[in-house]
Amino acid sequence: MVAHILKLKLRLLGNGFKRSTGQLIGVIIGGVYALGMIVMLTLAAFYSAGQTQNAAELSIVLASVVVLGWAIVPPLLTGVDLTLEPSRFVHFGISQKILAPALVLSGFISLPAILTIIGLLGGTLLWRFEAGPMVAAVLAALVTAAMAVLVCQYLTIVSTALRAKRRFRELTFALLFLVLICLGPIISSVAGAAQSMTDWLSPLSNVLSYTPFGAAAALPGALSESNFAKFAICLLLAVIYLGGLYFLVARATAEATVTPPPEQRAAKQSGLGFFKFVPATPTGAVTARALTYWFKDPRYAIGVLMVPVLPLIFWFTGNQSGDYTMMYLIGPLIGILLGFSISADISYDNTAFALHVLTGVQGRADRAGRAFACFALSIIPVLLAAILPGAIAGETWRIAGDLGISLAALLIALGVSSLASARYIYAVPLPGDNPMKTPPGNGMRVALTQLGTIGSMAILLLPVLIPYLMGWFQKSQALGLVALAVGLVEGIGLLILGIILGGKWYEKRAPELMQAVMVNK
Amino acid sequence: MMLTDLGYCYAEEMNQIALDIRGLAKQFGPKVAVDNVSLEVPTGSFYGLVGPNGAGKTTMLSMATGLLRPDAGQALVNGLDIWAQPQAAKSTLGVLADGVRQFDRLTGRQLVTYSGLLRGMERAEVTERTEDLLRVMDLSNDGDKLVVDYSAGMTKKISLATAMIHSPKLLVLDEPFEAVDPVSAANIRDILNDYVAYGGTVIVSSHVMDLVQRMCTHVAVIAGGVLKAQGSVDEVRGDMSLEDRFVDLVGGRGNNEGLSWLRTSSN
Repeated sequence: MVAHILKLKLRLLGNGFKRSTGQLIGVIIGGVYALGMIVMLTLAAFYSAGQTQNAAELSIVLASVVVLGWAIVPPLLTGVDLTLEPSRFVHFGISQKILAPALVLSGFISLPAILTIIGLLGGTLLWRFEAGPMVAAVLAALVTAAMAVLVCQYLTIVSTALRAKRRFRELTFALLFLVLICLGPIISSVAGAAQSMTDWLSPLSNVLSYTPFGAAAALPGALSESNFAKFAICLLLAVIYLGGLYFLVARATAEATVTPPPEQRAAKQSGLGFFKFVPATPTGAVTARALTYWFKDPRYAIGVLMVPVLPLIFWFTGNQSGDYTMMYLIGPLIGILLGFSISADISYDNTAFALHVLTGVQGRADRAGRAFACFALSIIPVLLAAILPGAIAGETWRIAGDLGISLAALLIALGVSSLASARYIYAVPLPGDNPMKTPPGNGMRVALTQLGTIGSMAILLLPVLIPYLMGWFQKSQALGLVALAVGLVEGIGLLILGIILGGKWYEKRAPELMQAVMVNK
Repeated sequence: MMLTDLGYCYAEEMNQIALDIRGLAKQFGPKVAVDNVSLEVPTGSFYGLVGPNGAGKTTMLSMATGLLRPDAGQALVNGLDIWAQPQAAKSTLGVLADGVRQFDRLTGRQLVTYSGLLRGMERAEVTERTEDLLRVMDLSNDGDKLVVDYSAGMTKKISLATAMIHSPKLLVLDEPFEAVDPVSAANIRDILNDYVAYGGTVIVSSHVMDLVQRMCTHVAVIAGGVLKAQGSVDEVRGDMSLEDRFVDLVGGRGNNEGLSWLRTSSN
């Protein structure tokens, strides 16, 4: 029976590759990349064997990062391959004694798990000069890999119930995204504050060696230092952690197979929301609908989150280097990013787009409504990002130029996106899906489309960029005003052009767009 | 003189045939989904479109309603070619498409309002009709809930409301009763019967023969992308029940040997 389930998992893994060549190529590229990393790691371990004083600490930190990564990334962000989720076996009367070990074992049959095991084994070469610790290290690598997969499975099962609640799902993604983005600057500030690597490596690894993350990985180090007391404690802890975790996973699996999916409370909103405030025209209706989605759909929320995060990252960077020039780029960057975000609008609609086709709404109204909604949301952040850096730095002469480049960036991005989204559909996370998930089939075409869209935005921005940069170098307000005037005229002109031309393309191709969103490619 | 004659003929045709499908065809790769189907749906009829799974019903209705461009053929909605004059044709047409999402982050009330405003209707009229539609669909209490939290049946009903708000002359409903509870189904049938009684035309696709036989005045049978029969229900079924006639036309009924081991008494 266990063998049956393992075979099923192998078959699923194999069939996954058969689905599309594009995906297979993606997997191969990803696999080569991962293998490259592993080879580098292995070589690093091989050559630093006997060279470094910190072998013990490095092993512990590496193992901890691996376990922590497995604990966070799959259950909360990318989602796990749930084809063998325990609740799928509800209808088969399989005994728990068989199902739990089978599902646990099947967790090891996946590319990430196999790559993790190889990588950890490669890392053990750090101990290749000492026989005893080397054996301990290989053992520790296997235990660490088991720990990683078990932690991931346990958290996945536990969070499935929570993930079924829409609100929770959306909130965690937003929060995690924020944390992830801020993580780099925070870590670099903290690390920069520490005198040297050993300052934090030693106490950190010491603590980790008593946690489930690093207990096993502490074994070779302890043996190498002949610290047998620590070796015994860590060995005991590793056994307890692994056994305990297995017990937890088995129990959670058993529970999941008899628990029906949870109910959820429906969200309410009284009245018509944005529909009350827009003019009663098709354009107004599309604007109101798009605005509602900007607030209600987490896929859009990710784009909005960039707005507060970007200044934060730039400020951190500036804080470290002492040079805040980057802050002046926030205005145009936010403008381009927000304007670009509507280039996937119809893809995000998915088949709900049928309503637009069936009502025969004018292409111009569809394009304009979406652009206006994005503009209404973006204009205040863009104005703030354009005015505040100059005002805070006391360089008021540059504000006109900053305004010009930022507004032009927003308007041009909106215009180009209005055109592009009437022509190109790409695979996006489906409505209600994990917004971080990149769906398969996202290949060269998407990359080229996005590159083309952003590239044409940059080229169209040149007429504004020239007076802007000249004004910057000469500290001239007059040239800044020229940039503002050119930016407004060109931006508004291109937005109108994008809406009219995009509307024509839209009307010609609405049924084709409809077919494209049906396959989400 | 000639012109007025033509205009007269044109108007008369408009009055008689609500949906005129002329030689529609669609091929997906090697698979012919709809093979040169012609169909005339008389104005004021309650038209049933029946066929087994994968017969091409949805593909044909998608081509007739402007969602899928046909390889060949025409579809005239109240005399207007939906592919030549899409906006004019769509203004007299209401569609409940099968297997498409709705803008489900809107509340039910917002979604119906959206559908009305998209069609360029006046706000006062949209508001009044939205409340009426929510009432008859028995969704008044759920109008403020997000559509994503609706059950399958409720979603079907709210989609039907979005298809009716502009009081179209022709309603094309793909599987309208699927997942709808019996009470709501009866209410929807009453609404549709009323609509037909006052001169509207309805096309429904369905698997439920019994329902079609009771409800519809006309029926067309489609199988394997080919039209097998069309006409009034009585013409098509002859002296059989519609279900028997359907099985007769479509074929594929298995012999009765079945699964001997499934008989629990044999244990």
